[in-house]
Amino acid sequence: MILTGWEAVFFWVFSIAAIFAALLTVMARNTIHSALFLISSLVSVSALFILLRAEFIAGVQILVYVGGVMVLFLFVIMLVNVGSEERGSEEIFNHPRQVTTSVIFCALLVGGLLYAINVGYEGLQKRDETAVTVAAGQRTADEQNLPEAATGSSRITKETERVGSGLYRYGSLPFEIASVLLLVAIIGSVMLARTLKQEAAVDDTAPEILQREAQHDPEIAKLQSTIAQ
Amino acid sequence: MLVFFAPIDFINQLLLKFFSAGTINHVIWPFIQIGLVVTIVAGWVAYATYLERKISAFMQARLGPMRVGPWGLLQPIADGIKLLTKEDFIPEKADRWIFFFAPYIAVAAAFITFSVIPFGPDWAVITDVNIGLLFVLAVSSVGVLALILAGWSSNSKYSLLGALRSSAQMISYEVAMGLSLVGALMFARTLSLSGAVNAQQLDSVWFFVYQPLGFLIFLVSGIAENNRAPFDLPEAESELVAGFHTEYSGFRWSLFFMAEYAAMVIVSAVAVTVYLGGWYFPFVYRLTEAKGYHNLYVIVSLLVFISKLLAILYLYFWLRWTLPRFRYDQLMDIGWKWLIPSALINIVISALAIFVIQALNGWHGIKTIDSLSAGLNLTATGKALMIVMGLAGLGLTGLSLARINWRSRDFNLKSQRRNIRLVNVPKGKPAVAPIAPAASES
Repeated sequence: MILTGWEAVFFWVFSIAAIFAALLTVMARNTIHSALFLISSLVSVSALFILLRAEFIAGVQILVYVGGVMVLFLFVIMLVNVGSEERGSEEIFNHPRQVTTSVIFCALLVGGLLYAINVGYEGLQKRDETAVTVAAGQRTADEQNLPEAATGSSRITKETERVGSGLYRYGSLPFEIASVLLLVAIIGSVMLARTLKQEAAVDDTAPEILQREAQHDPEIAKLQSTIAQ
Repeated sequence: MLVFFAPIDFINQLLLKFFSAGTINHVIWPFIQIGLVVTIVAGWVAYATYLERKISAFMQARLGPMRVGPWGLLQPIADGIKLLTKEDFIPEKADRWIFFFAPYIAVAAAFITFSVIPFGPDWAVITDVNIGLLFVLAVSSVGVLALILAGWSSNSKYSLLGALRSSAQMISYEVAMGLSLVGALMFARTLSLSGAVNAQQLDSVWFFVYQPLGFLIFLVSGIAENNRAPFDLPEAESELVAGFHTEYSGFRWSLFFMAEYAAMVIVSAVAVTVYLGGWYFPFVYRLTEAKGYHNLYVIVSLLVFISKLLAILYLYFWLRWTLPRFRYDQLMDIGWKWLIPSALINIVISALAIFVIQALNGWHGIKTIDSLSAGLNLTATGKALMIVMGLAGLGLTGLSLARINWRSRDFNLKSQRRNIRLVNVPKGKPAVAPIAPAASES
């Protein structure tokens, strides 16, 4: 896919924003600032997903990572990391040595990526020119009757439907396995976080369960007697 | 009539003299639409404060604002001038940059969402993306960030507590909100909001009759998501001064206010679009578009959408002055023990109902499905069956959850029951044997 006009402009704006936000994530002194730069980076990447016509993944990226995961990150950072934040509140960036290291690593990464992309692109070009043209022509023909997007050069696709039917028709087993994994994680965290003792302490258990447990756990028996009063 | 609604075509002709057709369609018209929507929403925010005061006043047998202008109609303007000319105060210990940016994140998250809401057919919708509903949920979830950052950067106890409460609350209720929409999506068969309205128009039914449970869950979690009373714990004025915006003043404070009221409109607009038929109303198409009055059709549909929106928004004001604020544990109980399980049950029941409808189609000459081209279009038999199954699902879910949560501390009923049990008053369900002698309870 070759980007033209406004799409190229958007691509460069968002990719540069993503790289710089990622760099600042490493450089920032304050953990909250780091988290914020990570959020900016994620948003820029989701904009790039839209340019790749993967609207569904872009939406899910914002919903899950920015709206869910990062909010919990901030939540935890706020509660845990108060002391170090107080000490370092004057400086915005890390020490010069750390910044230099991260800049060097970023430059190496960018260089490596650019090299790899160029090599890969050449390989693509060489492989089968006719097949690429045929596929591009097929795609254009498919998109002919779809509505136009706001930039004028691309179309509003039906990728979301394709993702849904693909996931449930051909990928239903991995999908179910992943959901079982998540269920195990949820139940495990609940089991680890809430013991019977804790529940009894806040008076959130059925009396008969408490009585049964109290027979072979002296601590619960003690708790039970305090609740009863 | 045609002459009266001609200006839109007239403006288009005028613009064609200066720009190419592509520029007009993709740049100029969207900008006009965006400008209109932003202006109208900002105006609504100003007058929502007036409405809120008037409604609360009438509910408490008072008059409300009466001094500025006739019936106090100019009160919002006076308030606006006051807020804009007030000192913009930044606390010394605050994190300046985040304190500065948080209100803008809130406003941006609230206003961007308006770009995908279908206010009406044809030119009354800014853009129709195929992830419309996902986009609304995603962008409004970014709004939580603004509250957390505002609360944290203020470096004040009240603000931080408000921010922590709001993040816990909004994350819990976002889950129920997202899940409750899945049932309606099964009928719409698309994530696009215009697509949902089209499906309801073709089916000539509003989805809340198929999805009474989903509609209820969405409304409750929507009110909680907006931090409105009775779920206004993040800014509980009697406990936390003003919650996350305690340290904000003047213009920045008014931005938070604007974001809150705009988010209210967003949630109501999604509720209207997905469950109440959006801009669709029976007979409107037949009386206008079919007779050739296209612009009249769009405008009447727009008015239909706005009146439905106002009805839902009135519900917000009504509830605010009717119900007392929930305690924090009650809030979490409603979210996790009632709304999320019932949203999950709703998904299962809707899928089962659709499966039954599909299985019945063509069995012994019964015809239930009309077509599947745009949404799930049912025949009269199918509709009746679906409505019955929706109501049965609502009742079943309510009963089973009431049974499961019988022992939980919802509304502190359990401790009341326990007290009743312990003093040996036979009442309601037979209780288990008291765990302590009745005499110790006093």
